[in-house]
Amino acid sequence: MENLLSVQNLTKRFGPVTANDGVNLEVRKGEIHCLFGENGAGKSTLSSCLYGYYRADSGVIRFKGEVAELNSPADALRLGIGMVHQHFVLVSNFTVLENIIVGSAETGLFLTKSDARRKISELCENCGIRIDLDREIWELSVGEQQWVEILKALYFGAELLILDEPTAVLTPQQSDQLFRILDGMRKRGLSIILISHKLREVMQSDRVTILRKGRAIATVETSETTAEAITSLMVGHKVNKHVRDRSVEPTGEVLAVDRACAIGEWGEDILKDVSFNIAHHEILGLAGVAGNGQKELFETLMGVRALSSGGFSLEGELITKPTSREMLDRGIGFVPDDRFLEGLIPEFGTAENLILGWQRAREYCRGPFLDRRKMDALARRKIEEFKVVTASADLPVERLSGGNAQRIILAREFLHSRGLLLANQPTRGLDVAASEFVYEKILEKRASGFAVLLASEELDDLLRLCDRIAVIFKGRIMGIVRPEETTLLELGMMMAGDASDVQRTVQ
Amino acid sequence: MISIQRRSGSSLRWNVVCFSAAILGAFLSSATLLALSGGDAVKAFSALFTGAFGSQNALFGSLAKATPLLLVGLGTVIAFRAKIWNIGQEGQVLAGAMMAYWASLMVGSLPYWLALSVIALAGLSGGGILGLLAGYLKTRFHTNEVISTVMLNYIVIFFLAYLLDGGPWMETGVTVAYHQSPPVNPALEWPELFARGAGKLHIGFLFALAASAFCAILIDRTSLGYDIRAFGSNPTALRFRGTNVRRLLLVVMLLSGALAGLAGAGELFGTSHRLRAETLLGIGSSGIVVAMVGGLRPSGVMLAALFFGALKSGAIYMRLQSGTPAGLVSAMEGLVLLFFLCAAVATKFQIVRSNVHA
Repeated sequence: MENLLSVQNLTKRFGPVTANDGVNLEVRKGEIHCLFGENGAGKSTLSSCLYGYYRADSGVIRFKGEVAELNSPADALRLGIGMVHQHFVLVSNFTVLENIIVGSAETGLFLTKSDARRKISELCENCGIRIDLDREIWELSVGEQQWVEILKALYFGAELLILDEPTAVLTPQQSDQLFRILDGMRKRGLSIILISHKLREVMQSDRVTILRKGRAIATVETSETTAEAITSLMVGHKVNKHVRDRSVEPTGEVLAVDRACAIGEWGEDILKDVSFNIAHHEILGLAGVAGNGQKELFETLMGVRALSSGGFSLEGELITKPTSREMLDRGIGFVPDDRFLEGLIPEFGTAENLILGWQRAREYCRGPFLDRRKMDALARRKIEEFKVVTASADLPVERLSGGNAQRIILAREFLHSRGLLLANQPTRGLDVAASEFVYEKILEKRASGFAVLLASEELDDLLRLCDRIAVIFKGRIMGIVRPEETTLLELGMMMAGDASDVQRTVQ
Repeated sequence: MISIQRRSGSSLRWNVVCFSAAILGAFLSSATLLALSGGDAVKAFSALFTGAFGSQNALFGSLAKATPLLLVGLGTVIAFRAKIWNIGQEGQVLAGAMMAYWASLMVGSLPYWLALSVIALAGLSGGGILGLLAGYLKTRFHTNEVISTVMLNYIVIFFLAYLLDGGPWMETGVTVAYHQSPPVNPALEWPELFARGAGKLHIGFLFALAASAFCAILIDRTSLGYDIRAFGSNPTALRFRGTNVRRLLLVVMLLSGALAGLAGAGELFGTSHRLRAETLLGIGSSGIVVAMVGGLRPSGVMLAALFFGALKSGAIYMRLQSGTPAGLVSAMEGLVLLFFLCAAVATKFQIVRSNVHA
């Protein structure tokens, strides 16, 4: 088959960091080609070079057999390379049609919408996209907005479409729809580069190029390999996935949330009648598309956001007007989703971050003074126990990788918490090995009797780790289900707010 | 190809190079300025140096000038390390002096050391209360502290103008109004550290040294200092981790203002002995410069305060000897700040020669 794009020996450096190191890549006409790798493996850099956003330090990019000079995204577009970013670039009070033709060279001074409309309708039909061209962007779901981005690229004549983590913001159903559309495009001879770190999606592509530490390790035909093989290639070794120990049964009740409501800045409901409970030895999963109230739920439980009504009790004791101080003193561990914003002081080293929240605790102080010796001893112990890679206990944590930063937060929270752990997206942005380390530690806490609230966008992870899974949509709990009694389809429907058939809550 | 990259660590040698270059640059540009205004740069600078360090008297004079700058600088460090931009030091210096003057009118009958303590405390609280007020406006109404502190400066300045010009503290019994108070009760003047004739180095200098030690320990070794530094780096995380950040902000503004207030009280009772706006204005803004040049570290602020104190003290002699305009010293101060800020940025980067692959 003919190669639409071929990349030879592409190298891109950022200062001392080599993001792409002699990468070779060939994309055929009419295939879905997946770039697969952990965070920092060089996927985004590579695609940015292909899209003309970065200039490669060395290497040759050929498009349709000719050497492509990509100095800007405009060059890429002119050649026929389009990109759909994770964050959409749409004007929210323009219609779909207007968004697509805006900036196109053919419009000239006056917009000739009728020609454009005909052309776009044709594109829609060919790719199986059903969308009303006259609706304004703000009326559309996230999935539909993504279609508009795709249409925009196609309208500009893209023959190669690069999609950067396209399903990060979608429900499973929306992802399926997206893949049906991509399939339609492939059949029409368009090529697609799909950047992903989700195995489920990778397996739907034609070929996969696995990147590791900036190098292209291998390109394989998806039909001739397995998910396990691809994962091993990505990580460089075999990965053991942890599952919960089913012989340990949840007992009692640690946290009980009762009809908790919270109201946002403009009077909108952020949390509406949220009720659930968590027992000792239990992990309650919290599933939902990002931005449906998960963050706010954690914030209310940590006492940094006020409830408008309802409340919660801890170990049977009703908590009224909590403060973060009180919740920490009651032994709640909290792993925030944005670790550098909410969990760490970036300019502080490991030693000081390990006592954040406890800088006045008797363990680390002598009167008003910090006990540096105790802090340093603690840091040495925890750096070893949690395998934190840092030059010294005083190196600012802003210079550490996300995985190492997360280890510091976990070390701190596990040390100071008693009974309840709140973990919001604890593996966000972490590679497979680091994620499994986090899960292993959380499962250890479950075994020791902790109640754990674990929010994640990785449904597969929730299914193997959690005793029950609560699904949240627009601030409401759509239902609480057991992993062994549910399916991805059912979870996906609940995540999309369609719970008419499945709404149920198990205790 | 040569490119500039962010440094991953810090190198002592490069820091020395940067800051030496800054000092050199500041003096060269000042010399140019001098030459342009028709002066003799060599003569002026040698007079400056003699005036600052040429004798024991000169040295003590420099230290006396450094005293209020050091106190204001330390107060600035406390606020700026928390990234709370208190720039109301001018007003806080005045408020400290005014509160101390007011206290002195009432403590004449107290034993000397007790009266002196009350006056010092009044100075601290005058500046502190003004700082606290700006802090309160920020925590209660989200008023930007840059704006509130500057606006409070004006209120204090005009209040002082009222008090000294027709108000209750106006000096009476003279034919010409000088916009100044009568001299403070001589029995309440702050003691000088050395025998007569050895410059006007008063006990405030010891207060400033003590304050330096206090700040160094506070920032690096205490829980409160931890909070201050953490607030400067990431207030959100600090709030999420159980610290009452509003109270912290108030404490920071109180401490920051109080040190400036003490500087004002010291100038009044140690040096000028009359409440008068002209002797106090400029200390606050120079103190901010001192804090920035000192790298927001108490040890650095001590050096910077000495440097700027010497500049101010030597400038008097320089003017007498070489007829250099007084405004030049302010210009030099600004130049030093600019060059030091450039140097501080430069220390964070390195120049790298990199090979390009074809």
